[in-house]
Amino acid sequence: MYRRLLIACALLAVLCGSALAQQTPPAKTHLKVGDPAPDFTLRATDGKTYKLSDFKGKKNVVLAIYVLAFTGG
Amino acid sequence: MSVDSVPANREFAKQLGITFPLLSDFKRTVVKDYGVFNEEQGFGNRATFVIDKDGIIRHIDEGNVAIDPTTAVDACNALTHKKASQ
Repeated sequence: MYRRLLIACALLAVLCGSALAQQTPPAKTHLKVGDPAPDFTLRATDGKTYKLSDFKGKKNVVLAIYVLAFTGG
Repeated sequence: MSVDSVPANREFAKQLGITFPLLSDFKRTVVKDYGVFNEEQGFGNRATFVIDKDGIIRHIDEGNVAIDPTTAVDACNALTHKKASQ
């Protein structure tokens, strides 16, 4: 599961990286290793809604934030 | 996850042949909660967070470092091995 996700993330990252001609300086997150991950509930492309805390006690989660999926314009 | 709309992410997934669901943070709440919102550009900066089963952040990659998933993979492997040894 991880492997599939990570390979896809890598692919996304590379593709987005090439699309992002002007690189902006990264905002430094206030979060640190060891902090509780803020919970979230988000809609996904499969029409379902995913909540981080639903995975608690069940699965490790990789949250990959990517930029510039097509913005429709 | 990106701040793009669900339809935009769908098109993105379609063009890249991605079969797993992509999350949409269209309201920018999650990128703000995770401290990676780029106010000037209006989107979330690239970042990878590895979160363990207890909901604790175990690894963070930010910016261009997050393009290469190697360190995130290592963090995942460490969590898996930890689980296996318990």
